[in-house]
Amino acid sequence: MIRALVADDSRVMRQIVIRTLRQAGYDWDVREAADGAEALEAVRQDEPDVVLSDWNMPNLTGIELLQRLRQEGFGTPFGFITSEGSAEMREAAEQAGALFLIAKPFTPEAFRAAIEPVLA
Amino acid sequence: MSAPAVIGADQVMAVAQDVFVAMVDGEETTLGPWYGDVPAPAEPLAAWVDVHGPWSGRAVLVTELATARDLARAMLRLDDDAPVDAEDLVDAFGEIANVVGGNLKSLLPDGGTLGLPQVADAPPAAGVAASPEAELRLSWRGRPLVVAVHARPDTSSAPTGPTTHPDNPHLEGDTPR
Repeated sequence: MIRALVADDSRVMRQIVIRTLRQAGYDWDVREAADGAEALEAVRQDEPDVVLSDWNMPNLTGIELLQRLRQEGFGTPFGFITSEGSAEMREAAEQAGALFLIAKPFTPEAFRAAIEPVLA
Repeated sequence: MSAPAVIGADQVMAVAQDVFVAMVDGEETTLGPWYGDVPAPAEPLAAWVDVHGPWSGRAVLVTELATARDLARAMLRLDDDAPVDAEDLVDAFGEIANVVGGNLKSLLPDGGTLGLPQVADAPPAAGVAASPEAELRLSWRGRPLVVAVHARPDTSSAPTGPTTHPDNPHLEGDTPR
């Protein structure tokens, strides 16, 4: 079973992300992190198969989290789920090594379209 | 710096509907226009996010505390009588404002940064124009919910007061044509 880490400072949004993952057909083992620093520690300890992260979080932002992971040698597939899907953010996410960016509000179809290429 | 009123009421409406379908109700959302005057909330709760950049301002949602509690229940798929603690209440309502604000920010031509969502009985009056650039009076489950976009005075060219949308009388504010 795929082990995923969902990082978002909103508990409600984490629940919505997990619910949408299931609606999209991904019956994953999901761990949650409430901010970027907690997510960094979770990856160090558990090395999940994929990270789904908010962009705008306290302590470490999503992009700072991704940069730290890459600096520490973690190549974990990483995608953003963010309320700001601007072209600039997509470019910054791609440059930092993110494999996808899903804009909130999202649908199960958006999850499948973003995640399927990562799993292939 | 001066900027045109770049966020229109129809854009706010489209964003709000997308948010409620995806995060609150699913396709059967009851979000729609509120017809007539909106009664002043007895126990108001406001959620807002600030946008900082070439265009700076604030997206604000205001509703009754009880309505915000039901929004949290809907987002968490809780029963209608399930208790909602204060943390989840603030989190849920703030997240709606966050996603609405983030989507509105993405419509701005020059981008900017988004602050973290905040929730209180009212947003601070300082820092933004009193009159909104766009204001929507919405109904969710038959209860009022107001979504407003306020510009910071030095980045706004907003009208002195809301104007009626030419196609939708329940929408107010400037609309790019």
